[in-house]
Amino acid sequence: MLKLKGVEEVYYPTSVKEAVDLLRKNKDVTEVVGGGLDISVLPNPRIKYLIFLDKLNLNYVKDAGEKIKIGAMSSITDMINAEPLKDYLHGRVKGILSEIATELLRNQITVGGSLGKREPYSDIVTLLYGLNAKVVLSDGEWDEELGINDLYRENFRKGLKERIIKEVILEKYDTGKFFFSMKRHIRNATDIALLNEAILIEKDGNKIKNAIVAVGARPKPAYLFREATEFLKGKELSKELAEEFGKFVESNVETGTDIRTTAEYRAHIAGVFAKRIILESLEG
Amino acid sequence: MSDFKVIGKKTDKIDAMALATGQPLFVDDLQLPDTLQIKILYSPYAHAIIEDIDTSEAEKYPGVKMVLTYKNTPHIIHTTAGQGWPEPSPYDTYMFDKKMRFVGDRVAAVAAETEEQAAEALKLIKVKYKVLPAVFDSEEAIKEGAPVIHDEPEITGAYDPKRNLAAHIEIRVGDVEKGFEESDVVVEETFETQYAQHTPIEPHVTLTYLDEYGRLVIRTSTQVPFHVRRIVAQALGIPVQKIRVVKPRIGGGFGTKQEIILEEICSYVTLKTKRPARLLYTREEEFISARTRHPFKVKVKIGAKKDGMLHAIRLYTLSNTGAYGSHGLTVASNAGSKTLPLYNKAENVEFVADIAYTNLPVAGAYRGYGATQSYAALEQVIDMVAEKLGMDPLELRKKNHIRTGETSPIFKALGEGREGVTQYIQSCALDELLEKGAKEIGWFEKHGKERRNGSKVYGIGMSMHMQGSGIPLIDMGAATLKMNEDGSFNLLYGGTDLGTGLDTIAAQIVAETLGIKPEQVIVYASDTDMTPFDVGAYASSGTFVSGGAVLKAALKVRDQILEVAKEKFGEFDTKDFILEDGKVISLKSGKNITLSEIAYDTLYVKNQHQIAATGSFVSPYSPPPFAVHFVEIEVDEETGVIKPIKYVAAVDCGKPINPELVKGQIIGALVNGLSYALTEEYIFSDSGRMLNPNFMDYKIPSTRDIPEIKVILAETYEPTGPYGAKSVAEININGPIPAIGNALYDALKIRLHKSPYTPERVLEAIKNKK
Amino acid sequence: MKVKYIINGKEEEYEIHPGEVLLDVLRRNGHTEIKGNCYLGTCGACTVLIDGVPHTSCTILAAKVNGKEITTIKGIGELDSPHPLQQAFVKTGAVQCGFCTPGAILSAYALLKKNPDPTEEDIKKALDGNLCRCTGYVQQIEAVKFAVKLLKEGKNE
Repeated sequence: MLKLKGVEEVYYPTSVKEAVDLLRKNKDVTEVVGGGLDISVLPNPRIKYLIFLDKLNLNYVKDAGEKIKIGAMSSITDMINAEPLKDYLHGRVKGILSEIATELLRNQITVGGSLGKREPYSDIVTLLYGLNAKVVLSDGEWDEELGINDLYRENFRKGLKERIIKEVILEKYDTGKFFFSMKRHIRNATDIALLNEAILIEKDGNKIKNAIVAVGARPKPAYLFREATEFLKGKELSKELAEEFGKFVESNVETGTDIRTTAEYRAHIAGVFAKRIILESLEG
Repeated sequence: MSDFKVIGKKTDKIDAMALATGQPLFVDDLQLPDTLQIKILYSPYAHAIIEDIDTSEAEKYPGVKMVLTYKNTPHIIHTTAGQGWPEPSPYDTYMFDKKMRFVGDRVAAVAAETEEQAAEALKLIKVKYKVLPAVFDSEEAIKEGAPVIHDEPEITGAYDPKRNLAAHIEIRVGDVEKGFEESDVVVEETFETQYAQHTPIEPHVTLTYLDEYGRLVIRTSTQVPFHVRRIVAQALGIPVQKIRVVKPRIGGGFGTKQEIILEEICSYVTLKTKRPARLLYTREEEFISARTRHPFKVKVKIGAKKDGMLHAIRLYTLSNTGAYGSHGLTVASNAGSKTLPLYNKAENVEFVADIAYTNLPVAGAYRGYGATQSYAALEQVIDMVAEKLGMDPLELRKKNHIRTGETSPIFKALGEGREGVTQYIQSCALDELLEKGAKEIGWFEKHGKERRNGSKVYGIGMSMHMQGSGIPLIDMGAATLKMNEDGSFNLLYGGTDLGTGLDTIAAQIVAETLGIKPEQVIVYASDTDMTPFDVGAYASSGTFVSGGAVLKAALKVRDQILEVAKEKFGEFDTKDFILEDGKVISLKSGKNITLSEIAYDTLYVKNQHQIAATGSFVSPYSPPPFAVHFVEIEVDEETGVIKPIKYVAAVDCGKPINPELVKGQIIGALVNGLSYALTEEYIFSDSGRMLNPNFMDYKIPSTRDIPEIKVILAETYEPTGPYGAKSVAEININGPIPAIGNALYDALKIRLHKSPYTPERVLEAIKNKK
Repeated sequence: MKVKYIINGKEEEYEIHPGEVLLDVLRRNGHTEIKGNCYLGTCGACTVLIDGVPHTSCTILAAKVNGKEITTIKGIGELDSPHPLQQAFVKTGAVQCGFCTPGAILSAYALLKKNPDPTEEDIKKALDGNLCRCTGYVQQIEAVKFAVKLLKEGKNE
């Protein structure tokens, strides 16, 4: 059955500038296409023009000294197989990516597409929040690097009609000082997350110097759980902290109810994940 | 008996390579020019009357050839259930009706040149509804004052439609009240099972067209081609002889295709327009407007003596058949007939069933067919009785199960819509299954012991089952076998292989009987013009009934061949003749002749006649297969997540004719049962709309969800089955809910009374225990 | 608009609507070996290889993959000369109704091309997008293991 009935023309630009120019021409009825999964599954009949980014050579994962640079058209599979991500943060990022959805969808879903679409249950978004990733927006002439939380300021979708997501930049964290883990609650192995949580801890000896706590699929999109960060700052990592933190998260995290599960259950799981991640950090 | 050449030997499924290489074998792989595409308009209300429907705009839409509603289609009440005749289901359905009875009921259909045009035209149909109060709960539905769902005067065969009772069953043996008084231990509990869908990867699809002679041909994804022919004839008011139904390869059925759903609409469009017509259900339509599993409320009361012998059993089931009666009565019958005889030592038995109409999606046939829901409760109550007695639940089952040579009065008391047929068990390996399965899972080492690792707690559970092999004295199959020059044979039979491999079993049966290879049997099946009758693929009847017919035909052909050989050898009787390696050999004289020589001779040379025979098979027997399941689970106390770690299915299906196919049936069924126990459910809005009609939110397993699975086969020889075989198709889907329920109790001393056993429910139970 | 694909090694040109998905384009043009209709990328029956990578053709925009190499089940073996994976699926009883089979085999094919010696976990991951309601997967996994053996033996000849 024909999905995108309204589409009249498609484009294969060979430069970011060309892509952005095409996008700005008829923004309201133009879509930029990453992997193309969301657009075919939730078709918008008003869309007339599609811009395919496949010819922009944005499917790279590069080791760039202090950073790792991931092109927006990298698929989840590309990232799983990439050398720079193999041992990144003890392979935890590769591990999480390998669990998401199915092989067929991992081959299609792109990091740029995920960020741009911002599905509330997206694991990529929560993951990148947790890694304090930077996102590069480009209009072909000027690249701007934004923190992921800044990407999602108000009217971000409007902003994505003016520029495209070009690249994601990850910090190479010293695993002696930093600990990262992410957990997802799923109904079965290939499910979307019903609640996902990513925590990055910066240690100073056994004390928590700073932390990022990101919770998503709640069912609202991922957010930075600042109260949790404040709770952790300055505390000693211990089993007791894990218990307290778990309770704190359960009582204070913002969750909601949908057809998949309840706000209470999500909050409970967020608490359990929080506790378990702290316990994991004790093991190193 | 034990030295078979083909039976029990590894034999490739005869259509497997064609399927694995993508040959155009399925309904929708035949693409005819000028085919009209059909789309259906569904009711947005759970209970409503169409006060007015205006299709004029839709009819004008470019590409539209026909718009169907209750106004311009035959108004003949019938049942959609594909069952024998007279159907044990109410006639309560019209092709299109003025009254809508669930969200997903049919308002109208459009036939157009393309799917897109048909879909657009649907939007132009203007409908004025009078919304009526709806009822969604089966208990509420049968109470006084509930909205009456079937008030049409033409309805027949429903028990008490004014009380929304599609059917009602009552059977009694002995005196249960007295039995409970005489018991030392009594346990009564209620369990609830949920809506589920079969989700065959190929949804319902039908293509109809007129052949060169103007006869209607229905090419459809069905389990019941002959019932399709009869019911379409009835619903359209045309003679059976004007219809041909063809079943090619089917992409799974599991019961949802034991129904006549798309065929009348397609047929009507073809008859009116003279053009081919195609209707393919989307996945969403398959969830909402195909068929589902009956949700059940099952109340079990068991009384036992302190020595462990069961003395009285009361089973009450309240099933929800949804908006139409379909398989309501027979599924409920099965809830009793496929469970109670297993515990035949209890002399006092009562089974009462109410089958309620509600304004929800229609329930139909689904693998297990009522036994699944009933065992979910029964096998857990058995564990509870064992606990009260201070007995090992395995011991309790061992003491009480039916044995070879025994019977149960339930067999006669409970048929499917009529009286049943007394059965004596002639093959039963339950003790071997109990022993071997227990050993494999480590029952005695692990059950009843507290085992944990941090927040992960472990438990072991078991369950025990029987089913049937076809419906005795009702299910009939027939087969015709004819010989070709080269010693090959054409087998034309009605058996309906929906991917199970029945065609292969049929070829093996012929091959074994005639001393040839399965490759020399050319199987053509389920074509109402070209093959003899068969009720179709349900009630685990394939191997036993269809296979039984094939065996009968093969034996007759064998006799004909031996007669010719006798002539050729100049001998007087065929007693010492054998058929081996494509030859007839006289053991007495050593003379031999190839089948090919016999064929050439009989087709062309002397006493010419076609060596061929037709065999029909209907049996007073329905020998039960048996199964014992064991599962080890890991429960995360903090999240409530249940993870099955190891699953053991010990099965007695008589002689397994094809070991790989049998394994496939066992594992396929139990994996379906696992997700039915843990993740599958229908979520409804307050107004009766199903909210998760897709795989994103209706969770079925992938390769990453299966535990370690071990299959143990205990071979027995069933004298009433072809080469000793019984069925295996349904029984194993019944294990997971009770086995996991019992394992959960072993792990955490909590018992859930509602499936699926989601983490939320487990966590709630853990909290409540504290 | 017109698009060109190289399907199983042969160049084919089709007329498509720019908003169509690949599954519909291919089936309409005679490639009935591709199955499926969930249109959400969730069942995997419509799997094809695009430049050797398995995708659900129901979620791939036909225009997006203009010019690419597409492999369907017919591209890896024939009825009289099947690929070892097809032989293996037949032998282990992994084919019941067969509707999901071409998709599962293509996913396995892609796996073995990049990893000729996969672990059981690797196999499960590679096939996790191909839903099957008939087999319960055990025999499919056995089939892939068996195919690994057949391919190794084939190399040694």
